[in-house]
Amino acid sequence: MNGTAKGMTERDIVKRSERVAKAKRVVMRMCLPLLSLMVVVAGTAARAQDTFHLETSSGAQSIRLAAANFKSNTPDALPFKNTFDATLFADLSAAGIFDMVSKSLIPQAAPGTPGEMNLAQWSSAPASAAMVAFGNIGVQNGNLVANGFLDDAKNTQYPQVFAKQYMGPPNDDVARQLAHKFADDIIFRLGGGVPGIAESKIYYVKRVGGAKEIWGMDYDGANQHAITHLGQISISPRVSPDNSLIAFSSLGNNGFQIKMFSLLLGRLIHFSNVGGTNLSPAWAPNGQELAFSSSRTGDPEIWVSDPQGEMARRITSYKGPDVSPTWNPKTGSQIGWISGRTGLPQLYIMDSDGSGVTRMTDGGYATSPSWSPNGQFIAFAWNRKYGPGAPGGQDIYVMEIASKRWIQLTHDIGRCDFPSWSPDGRHIVFANAPDGMDSHNRIMTMLADGTGKRALTGPGTDMPNWSWK
Amino acid sequence: MRPDDQDDKFGSGVAGAIGLHVVLAGVFVAVAMFAHTSSAHWGENASSVGAIQASMVSAIPLPQKFKPVEKSVLAPDQASPAPVPPPKEAVAPPPRPTDILIKNKNLPKKVGPVETPAPPKHPQPTPPTAKAQTGQSADQLPQSTTQMKNGTATATVQDRTFGNRYAYYVQQVSQKVAQNWYTYEVDPKTSQGKRTTIVFDIERDGSPANVRLLTSSGSPTLDTSAMRALQRVDGFGPLPAGNQITVEYTFDYKQQ
Repeated sequence: MNGTAKGMTERDIVKRSERVAKAKRVVMRMCLPLLSLMVVVAGTAARAQDTFHLETSSGAQSIRLAAANFKSNTPDALPFKNTFDATLFADLSAAGIFDMVSKSLIPQAAPGTPGEMNLAQWSSAPASAAMVAFGNIGVQNGNLVANGFLDDAKNTQYPQVFAKQYMGPPNDDVARQLAHKFADDIIFRLGGGVPGIAESKIYYVKRVGGAKEIWGMDYDGANQHAITHLGQISISPRVSPDNSLIAFSSLGNNGFQIKMFSLLLGRLIHFSNVGGTNLSPAWAPNGQELAFSSSRTGDPEIWVSDPQGEMARRITSYKGPDVSPTWNPKTGSQIGWISGRTGLPQLYIMDSDGSGVTRMTDGGYATSPSWSPNGQFIAFAWNRKYGPGAPGGQDIYVMEIASKRWIQLTHDIGRCDFPSWSPDGRHIVFANAPDGMDSHNRIMTMLADGTGKRALTGPGTDMPNWSWK
Repeated sequence: MRPDDQDDKFGSGVAGAIGLHVVLAGVFVAVAMFAHTSSAHWGENASSVGAIQASMVSAIPLPQKFKPVEKSVLAPDQASPAPVPPPKEAVAPPPRPTDILIKNKNLPKKVGPVETPAPPKHPQPTPPTAKAQTGQSADQLPQSTTQMKNGTATATVQDRTFGNRYAYYVQQVSQKVAQNWYTYEVDPKTSQGKRTTIVFDIERDGSPANVRLLTSSGSPTLDTSAMRALQRVDGFGPLPAGNQITVEYTFDYKQQ
């Protein structure tokens, strides 16, 4: 545990300086009648420079991780290697749990195998990495083979955390997938057992001419592709927990109806339709139930049916629109939704049988809730001062269910709507219209604390939905 | 010549000799008495001694006795038995000069030199030996400390071999619990430096189990906040090895 010993000394220094500051405070206050000799000595030493103030390590630090450039075994693997390196670095940076070592600070020699690894070089300044990811990539027997290693640079005795081989046909897309897999393995080992999201997908609405189609892409915005070709207005896609079905709402001859698209078959499958406007489907975490808003009885209420649209039952019954349900993904026994029963739309939660209705927001105009994977939070779009001439606008907020306390995640970037949690609960994807115009909507992602915002798509995209895994 | 003249000379000579001897004796006595007070002497209690020095002590400074470390090869409770000398090989008596030696027909075939296997390219970690190294690490436990704004959290894994081999995992456990410790749950009247220790097991799949309070801090809110921190954790990620480890976690409260 040499590395830890080193870490301890750093912390000891921090602790000591804290102690000095604390002792100083104690001396200044003169509130304790008994001071040990040591404290007095430390206090006088600190009093010599009266202006300094020490604040140490707020919160737990993130792991400093270095991603070495992979070594290309064969010359024809070079383009794949570049894709792999770039994707791996982007994935690890986006994970939100690492303090990534900049590529300009890493040692020049790229180690391909643990034998070539000189950990001292990586753990010392300027890289100062606690963990190093490295490996080699090559084309063998017509397969792209990447060997990935993760080493603990502080543990000189047993550095290796894991070693894994990734294989696939040699093309650029596969090189990216292999990098995603390696990144996910690293995040899983170092992220406290939460699986990475590098292989997850985002489904969204794309404006194609006058129609709106459902599209899909990788979590980082790559590989954008069309899924439906209906030539209709299709909105609010929701992917099933097993990634096999997409439920969405489509405007046809009978108004808005729920449609079900099978990603395995590549076509629409049966979903029973009845009259009225049917909107905003939401999957229960077991994949056996679908909640949606339906006005088949005249008033928009929340209904729950099975994935074929059968056995539909109403669970809200109160005058005023009830829309945008979202299940508690952790328990599957609660539903959050937006209700206009008191006037402006507000966020409510209830048990999945319709009992225990609780209002969460106290005013403003709330829309499109999304329940976090750990069940603790709901993200939603909220215009807190709604009305003509009111300051502010529609932004993304996160509320803790238990305490009803909330934080605002977006500020002054234009109208934001449709937040959706990533499966690891560390990211939120949302739609943003910088100038407030619908046609300029784009999809952005950020960490769940509101940092690290970046756009994934160009204008004309809307209503993102992050897959469950 | 008068005999008296000779007598007189004899008397003064004797007196002179006696006087000389007395002076010499006095000089010796004086040297013996005063000369040794000025310089150090052999065997004296000086700071730098030439040879052996003996001083009275109340006890003999023997090396400190350490408690036998569990699962350690060295430092056992009982002394190991003295090694048995190897049995003597039976040696054939030397051939007599009259004997005619018969060639052994069943000589073993000559085998070519065995190639030494190439050392593995991957650096092999030396297997963990529970041997205590001289003078160190006998009581050193693998632990990881996470500094927080409002306290310190220290995780100690009781299985030393695991902690050394998978230091990153211990670090992670420490961090994850620290992240889930909400110090605002602690009553702000709790006095400085209170600490509570929680013991829990981590199962093979990484889920915490069997969470229990080992040492109460005396502040119920601090104890509860520590227990809650563990209850918020769903899992630490599957164990890299083994079926279960036991972790001792100390929460050190410090006022802001």
